[in-house]
Amino acid sequence: MSHLSLLLDLQPAAWHDPTQSLQFSTFLAHILVFLNAHLAQKHENSLAIFGAFPGKSIMLYSSIDQTKPADRRVQPDPNWYQPFKTLDAALTERIREEMPQPSNSSEAEEPLPVPVALVGALAKALCCKSSTYCNFNRIIQATKVEAPSDTPLVMPESRILIVSVSPDAAASYIPLMNSIFSAQKLKVVIDVCKIYGPDTTFLQQAAYLTGGSYIRMCFLQPPSVRSLLAVPTTDRVDFRAACFCHKDIIDAGYVCSVCLSIFCQPVPVCSTCRYAHLSTRLMRPI
Amino acid sequence: MPKDPETAGQQDAPHTLIPFLQSQSQTALTRLYTRPSSCLAIFRLLGPIERQIVMSLLWLEGPIASQTLNAWVTKEGRKPYGTALDTLSKIQILPNPGTRMLLNPNFKASFRMALTGGGDLNSFGVPYVSSKEKDAERDGAGDKKFGPNLEHLDSYALERWETILHYMVSSGTDSTPQRPSAGVLYLLQRSGLMQPLPSPSGYSTASSRKTSQLQISSLGFQFLLHTPHEQLWELLLQYLKMVEERQMDLVEVLNFLFMLSTMDLGREYSPDNLTQTQLVMLEDLRDYGLIWQRKSSSKRFSPTRLATTLTSSTPLLPSSGGGNTGPQGFIILETNYRLYAYTDNPLQIAVLNLFVHLKSRYPNLVVGSITRDSVRKALNNGIRADQIISYLVTHAHPQMRRNNPLLPVTVQDQIRLWELEKNRLKSADGYLYTNFAAQADYQVVLDYAKQIGVVLWENSVKRCFFASAEGHSNIRGFIERRSKDEQM
Amino acid sequence: MPPRRAQDHNYMAVDSDSDDSFIVEDGDGDFGADRTRGAKSKGKGKAVQKGKDKGKGKGKEQPYSWEASYTRSWDAVQEDEGGSLQTAVEDLLARGRRRRLLGPSTAIRRTIIRHLILILDLSASMLDKDMRPSRFDLTLEYARAFITEWFDQNPLGQIGIVGMRAGLGERVCDMSGNPQDVLKHISDRVKLEPNGEPSLQNAIEMARGSMSHLPSHSSREVLVIFGSLTSCDPGNIHDTLDACVKDRIRVSFVSLAAEMKICRDFCVKTGGTFGVALNEGHFKDLLFEGIPPPVQTGAAATAKTGPGNPAADLMQMGFPTRLPDTAPPALCVCHSELKTEGFLCPRCGAKLCDVPTDCDICGLMIVSSSHLARSYHHLFPVKPYEVFMDKSSLTITSPSVCHACALPFRESQQSKTPATAPAEGLSPLGRYRCPDCGNDFCADCDVFVHEVMHVCPSCHDPKPIPQPS
Repeated sequence: MSHLSLLLDLQPAAWHDPTQSLQFSTFLAHILVFLNAHLAQKHENSLAIFGAFPGKSIMLYSSIDQTKPADRRVQPDPNWYQPFKTLDAALTERIREEMPQPSNSSEAEEPLPVPVALVGALAKALCCKSSTYCNFNRIIQATKVEAPSDTPLVMPESRILIVSVSPDAAASYIPLMNSIFSAQKLKVVIDVCKIYGPDTTFLQQAAYLTGGSYIRMCFLQPPSVRSLLAVPTTDRVDFRAACFCHKDIIDAGYVCSVCLSIFCQPVPVCSTCRYAHLSTRLMRPI
Repeated sequence: MPKDPETAGQQDAPHTLIPFLQSQSQTALTRLYTRPSSCLAIFRLLGPIERQIVMSLLWLEGPIASQTLNAWVTKEGRKPYGTALDTLSKIQILPNPGTRMLLNPNFKASFRMALTGGGDLNSFGVPYVSSKEKDAERDGAGDKKFGPNLEHLDSYALERWETILHYMVSSGTDSTPQRPSAGVLYLLQRSGLMQPLPSPSGYSTASSRKTSQLQISSLGFQFLLHTPHEQLWELLLQYLKMVEERQMDLVEVLNFLFMLSTMDLGREYSPDNLTQTQLVMLEDLRDYGLIWQRKSSSKRFSPTRLATTLTSSTPLLPSSGGGNTGPQGFIILETNYRLYAYTDNPLQIAVLNLFVHLKSRYPNLVVGSITRDSVRKALNNGIRADQIISYLVTHAHPQMRRNNPLLPVTVQDQIRLWELEKNRLKSADGYLYTNFAAQADYQVVLDYAKQIGVVLWENSVKRCFFASAEGHSNIRGFIERRSKDEQM
Repeated sequence: MPPRRAQDHNYMAVDSDSDDSFIVEDGDGDFGADRTRGAKSKGKGKAVQKGKDKGKGKGKEQPYSWEASYTRSWDAVQEDEGGSLQTAVEDLLARGRRRRLLGPSTAIRRTIIRHLILILDLSASMLDKDMRPSRFDLTLEYARAFITEWFDQNPLGQIGIVGMRAGLGERVCDMSGNPQDVLKHISDRVKLEPNGEPSLQNAIEMARGSMSHLPSHSSREVLVIFGSLTSCDPGNIHDTLDACVKDRIRVSFVSLAAEMKICRDFCVKTGGTFGVALNEGHFKDLLFEGIPPPVQTGAAATAKTGPGNPAADLMQMGFPTRLPDTAPPALCVCHSELKTEGFLCPRCGAKLCDVPTDCDICGLMIVSSSHLARSYHHLFPVKPYEVFMDKSSLTITSPSVCHACALPFRESQQSKTPATAPAEGLSPLGRYRCPDCGNDFCADCDVFVHEVMHVCPSCHDPKPIPQPS
């Protein structure tokens, strides 16, 4: 079985941008068909959808969580597979509830642009995934038995798909990288689908480090089939990082030898570990 | 090590239904593909690569060159990819994959409809809603809003299914469990899983055969060791094969099965839209435990979990054994051939009893040991050593899963050796040639027999040899010719 | 020397005192009743010494393995009245929590670029079977696990391996930054078959020699796994000790047999840690303690950064761009081979095969930013969540599900006896609250956030960007 966590970048500013060719309603319809296709693949396939809204992240739908009584409310339709209908109705309703409408009151009261909480959504997706994993691990530790390395973890094959429209938020660099490493540890593949907007360096790295794909749009196979059918590869991965002082993305910089903080220009005292750097004056500019 | 049955499934044989579908005519398949629910169910039965190919092509309007898709295949993937294309073309989903890739238009339209919803084919079952409101008032509290509850459905399906299996497993013994219905018995007999017990007075007459006791065949023993999911499909496949004789329309039968598999568990459906054939099936499937009805004349029906998980690869049957063993295994096997089975399910115990010498029984535990005699008994019943081993592997307790290899090697090897032991004697039909008058005669005939390669055994001191039956006429002719020559 | 000795005597005396009080506290009456007091203070003293800061207490109730009559592993797990292991599991959870609470919650200074020489004892004493399957096999197994985990957490570090066998120091593996390289050298058990006497001095001198050229901003560490009780040295080992102190090499010991004075001297003087493994599990714990980058204490830092000793340089580093395998092939600067894949140096544009490395053309240190980022969680840990105790302060508006995984909180059955719960460090309500963002998390997510992910799911929700008006 295969588990898919879908992370939707729901930045209203980007979606309500009239210059974009893709309307949000069209986009949502495509996403719904994609999710149906995922569920159609296998009876056991499961799904969790997280929305990254400006400043907050919300779990929109989870097929594992059957506690929600709302599922049964949906009128059955003889022409549609029931799980599809349940999913579509629930997701559409949740997004409508949570999606902030663009303020059309007056131009002066335009709200400040808030980056979407992608890291929060990613962290939540990983937490959900780990809840089974943690349980398993703890039992292993509790009984102090060493599992042979090839023991199949009782984990469904899982991947995360990030549908992104907004650019990198440099402030979230460290938490994002930490999330990526934990995804690596959990053997979760992160795929990134960039609908439009500039390429995001961080998400490219996320896809590269976890063995996923960074693409524009494609129906991707489950990770186990990827060794047999090739997937679109990323042509260029940017390994640049954000500097700590201005949160700019740089390709060469100065690194504190004590704490690995990255600076875009020589600083006399490291802002992270307060270490005095004595030889800064000798440095050549890069 | 593959983590997932799906990963391993690439090398495994395709689903049992696929070869059956491949043998069907093109028109039948095309008719089948007009219903979205059938498309969805068949899609799920396909292997992962096939599914990916279908998905890649589904939203394309025109055909694409096969080279385009070939470019995606890695070196290791060539062979599985080839077989996948082959399968798809045989079941007419992707006709002519050699040149231009284009999905069967019917399949494409229906499957798209399945994903996006719409249409008016009612292929996912008409729910019993129209009269629900008034019905609820009439029946009062007894009728819940959403039909029978899940526990009830599960226990019903489990009871039906285990009745069948239990009947099979205990047929040879004295105990007489509940008999399944006549339809089920007929199916079991037709499929060769059970055979009529030869009555003491020679061959039974046609009339007595119907009532006579059935006995499990060696095929049946093998059947018992399969996973429930395989068992279910095996029976359904037999059912499908019988369809032609019963003058039923195969496409309608398949459509109904697939419709059941896409229905919602715990919901009631109306049989109003069903064809005559499907109404007949309704009754049959009720006997197998796939469908639940309050009364046989009831105006609504609910699929059970057996039906709704038809297209899932891992059996999500109602956990057999009352839920305490769960879907995971329950068997612990030690290197000293002792076996502990944490179960109180009479069916599981009966199955174990096929090849294990059971020693003691506790409320939740059965202890036994695998002995030469117990395994030989099973082998004599037609069960193969590999089947025993695979049964032990699939039902191994989670504690056992930490071992590598899963089962103790000694036990595995010993079971195989016991099987080989049975094969020490090989029987071959043939003739013994003896009483040759002279050594020269013997030598000439033997040389001739060796020339045509039929000698199985020879002893020159006793002047006799044994040759296979097919060489007999030649050798006889040779001897006769020789003796004629000598007489002349 | 004499004054130092006196100190040591004091040291041991304090040690044995704490040991005695420890036993009294534990109420472990039957423990070692027939043994002499001296032996007791020797064995247990060490256990206390090294177990002190961990608060794990694993070694408290277990004697040495040769003292145990018969190990019955199932006795270690306590069942509750219902025969369930729930309490035992919860206890383990609580221990983990308590240990985390001891950890620092603010940004701290750690040594990130590390160089470690692992010295393995390959003397005949490693063939002892007091640890199953044997000391030697267990050491190899743990060493492999150690190296894998070490490289995971210290991606910029390098490891070399030296063996002590037949009175000599043997170079098993040169200093390397590639875990596969290092693992390959200890994968073959036969090549490392133990033999003869160990020589501590030879091995440490060899390790010291191979680290003498290292730049000043990196750490120099030696970790010795020592199974023997003797050392067969060509000269005065105290000279080696002084040399190590001078070169600021940090020597740590994990002893499998018993404490030796010289081993402890090494650790005390060079700032390393010393431990005697009580059993297999404890051995692993001791070994793995060396994995997180060591904290640089203020004192050590000031001592190092004396005038004229620029220990903390800013390093110039470049973050490369990776080329895919579909790129046009070009010659790489490191092997002069035609390759399609590779990394581009951001300063001179040279093509490199693998990172981290130094660019052969311009000398810039090339690291992938993900290598650096791997260490950040050591520097910026997530604050421990507060145990949520008070049921009464829950309001109707407080969420009923975990903020991260959206599963409802599981209240433990022990909530009826709240007296025991606080000591355990477990919330009876199964709620743990982040001190920064004030959201509640379940126990599973608490463990996951702190031990694996190192990101609080809601603390990083972006705030509105204030626009300059």
